[in-house]
Amino acid sequence: MISVFVTWLIIACGALACVYMLWGAWSRFPRRDFDDVVHFLYPVDLSLAEALLDPAAEFDISWKLAPQEFREAQRKRMSLYVELVRRMAHNSKVLVEFSNAEIIREDLLRSDRARTLQQTAIEVRIYALLTLLKLRVWMWVSKTPTMPHLRKAAHVDGLKTYDALKTAAEAAFLHLPPTDLETLTRNL
Amino acid sequence: MVLLSYTPTLLMLALVCVLVQRRAHHQFPCFFTYAVFAVVADLARFSVRSNPDVYFYAYWVTEAVYDVLGVALMYEVFQKVFGGLVKVWWARLVFPCIVAAGIALSVTRAHATSEQLGGRPMLAIVMGEIAVRFVEVLVFIILVSMVRLLGLRWRQYAFGIATGFGFYATVALLTTTTFSDFGTDFKFLWGASLIVSYSVAVLIWIWFFSVAEIARPTGPAAPSPSPEELERYKEALRRLH
Repeated sequence: MISVFVTWLIIACGALACVYMLWGAWSRFPRRDFDDVVHFLYPVDLSLAEALLDPAAEFDISWKLAPQEFREAQRKRMSLYVELVRRMAHNSKVLVEFSNAEIIREDLLRSDRARTLQQTAIEVRIYALLTLLKLRVWMWVSKTPTMPHLRKAAHVDGLKTYDALKTAAEAAFLHLPPTDLETLTRNL
Repeated sequence: MVLLSYTPTLLMLALVCVLVQRRAHHQFPCFFTYAVFAVVADLARFSVRSNPDVYFYAYWVTEAVYDVLGVALMYEVFQKVFGGLVKVWWARLVFPCIVAAGIALSVTRAHATSEQLGGRPMLAIVMGEIAVRFVEVLVFIILVSMVRLLGLRWRQYAFGIATGFGFYATVALLTTTTFSDFGTDFKFLWGASLIVSYSVAVLIWIWFFSVAEIARPTGPAAPSPSPEELERYKEALRRLH
């Protein structure tokens, strides 16, 4: 009985995947170019993220507050980190989509920079999606976890990799006018 | 029906030409081997069709090779996409788990086919074929999820191969599951739908491979960045750190 259900589930998912690919080919999956990147990014405050994941700061809060208050404070800190990680996930997806178009360029240098950008952006996206999933589950079951554990997911150090993403993006957008490059740095 | 049954062979021959033109045998050796084997196997079956005993062996031996090649090329596609993507140790277990799931689902369906097939080797080949179909659909679903979740570029050869197999395997599983309930009255419809879906799969491969994946300049090395570019790069790094 279970195998019949699983078989039909796989067939249904396979059919949906076929429809998705057909729709993608039909609509030609719109490409992102330079104009669709800089103003589509949300700023991520990495120093704030560092502070949220700092074990010493967390220990300090837990020391000063009563257990109930600490739980409340930790929940607020988790919500804030959710927002930061959500932005990371969004920005990395924008950059992956942008590099999709850049990778197939004939200019070898730009293509290689785009490849580095995409690789880093994918790592950030994997980190962000896994961390978001973890945080949502924790918030749903009302667990009070230790935030420093969120620094890594799937062997990816989230903050370090996001920093590397900034550098890779700067390299990939090097030919932009200085003002646009400044906006990119600010928005990332 | 006879004309229809040879359509995939002709399309496969066209695919082999496209693969040679794109030099895909370097990038996807298993898929290239599969395409060449498909043409050779069809020609072999055609040449011995008047001798039932020889045809019997030719059919089952080629089916067994199709099973092995099916798994090998799905692994090739999976590695191509996920090879450098996820660095966790358990990522290496994903493909073996998919194969194990395919075999498990195939085994649960074995009781339906065991009475109709004469020998154990043939039963193993049919079970292997169903397992490969499950693997093909599962790999296809995972790859499409990656396009959606990570924003990966869908117009890649690896996705083209997975889409062709995913489409064919979905139709094959659907028709096999549905028609097994209705009996032999639908044998013609079952056979025709499989041939048509396989032909569509080959057309998908031809379409994906008809475009060069990455246009590279013919020069031996990448052009060096200009001094202005290097200066701006250094400036950007200085601002970041």
